Amino acid sequence: MSAEDRARRLVRCYPRSWRERYGAEFELLLVDDITDRPRAWRRTLDVVWSGARTRIAVAARAGADGPPDTRVRAGLGALGAAVAAFLALGIAIWSQLAVGWQWSAPSATTTRVAMMAMTAALVAFALLAALAVLPLSVAVARAVARRPRSAMTAGLAIALAGAAVLIAGSIHFGHGWPGTGGHPWADRDLVPGWIARPCWAATLWITSYWVHPHALAAFPTAELAWMAISPLAAGAIVAGGALTLRRTPLGARLLAHLARLALATAAVMGAFLAGASCWIVADGPATHGLFRVGAIDVVALAAMTAALWLGARAAARAVRAVRAVRAVGAVGA
Amino acid sequence: MPIRCLEIRAKDIEQFTAVRLSPGTLYEALARLERRGMIEPVPSEDRRRPYRLTAAGATALRAHLDAQRRVTGVGLRRLAARPGTP
Repeated sequence: MSAEDRARRLVRCYPRSWRERYGAEFELLLVDDITDRPRAWRRTLDVVWSGARTRIAVAARAGADGPPDTRVRAGLGALGAAVAAFLALGIAIWSQLAVGWQWSAPSATTTRVAMMAMTAALVAFALLAALAVLPLSVAVARAVARRPRSAMTAGLAIALAGAAVLIAGSIHFGHGWPGTGGHPWADRDLVPGWIARPCWAATLWITSYWVHPHALAAFPTAELAWMAISPLAAGAIVAGGALTLRRTPLGARLLAHLARLALATAAVMGAFLAGASCWIVADGPATHGLFRVGAIDVVALAAMTAALWLGARAAARAVRAVRAVRAVGAVGA
Repeated sequence: MPIRCLEIRAKDIEQFTAVRLSPGTLYEALARLERRGMIEPVPSEDRRRPYRLTAAGATALRAHLDAQRRVTGVGLRRLAARPGTP
């Protein structure tokens, strides 16, 4: 691969707005550096780390600039990305505990309370998602009917394909583990097995096994393939959804409705995080099996806290921008 | 006179501090300085964009260098006052 190709690939670590401003000059600097030092892993790490920091900084400022309706969309988009990351980690934790509860109820009261809080929060997430998806589906269907051959339709196809792969694979692999499939008690406790199983399988890739390659090598090939494919399918849902919604016309009333839901979503994220924190705090010598807290759970909790912070800021900005849209409308009227 | 960012990295920072800034770190600093209005790009036909200090940047740099000079002066005087210092 040429120095130019390597530089172009590294520049992609940065968000689009940054690339539009600095991409060309940064690429030249990278080409010079790569020519000077062809094999410098520190440079790669530095650029990847700097790109990630820039992406977080841009996400934290999303919705801070531009006209009000653009700010609402940017804020909602940033919240959507934060919720996606939050839910992937949250469902990984929750489904592990839900599966554990089917074998035996947790001994610590705090863990029981934590599970109930997380389960209630997930039900609230599902309700909020339904309230958002229903009007959005109508808007998307209208827009696709108007322009069937567009990037919007391509985005929708990507999202639907990702969802189909994730749902089918999660159901299939959910049945593949003796702890979740075919157990006589599998449907008797807090969360029915038919819900816990696919949730567990969908987030199987969020595991500390990645840093234990010898243990990972003992996994069946199909399961390893699923652990690689499932995050790609989840990413396709998020990327395809973003591509679709970015190009879908959304009226002021719908944006206001979504901004209200955004605030409620941030509150529910807080409730879920409180439940997960209870479980982490409850961990002790008496905790066994799937209820035991691992290092990956603590890391996930830290990442979820960061996602909540970004999401809450984005939701607040979306609400402020909606007020600005209304003010502009009132002045215009 | 405008200074290319490449020259800042290679000639100034590396020479003065013996530290070679990686491209990511350099551009993070560059973007931050531009956001704060300390430097500004100079129009150029080349894709390598030169930057120059703004008036605010020059004021901030002067204040920073003055503070450094005071710290250096105090440090050197105290070192000289130590018994046995040549």
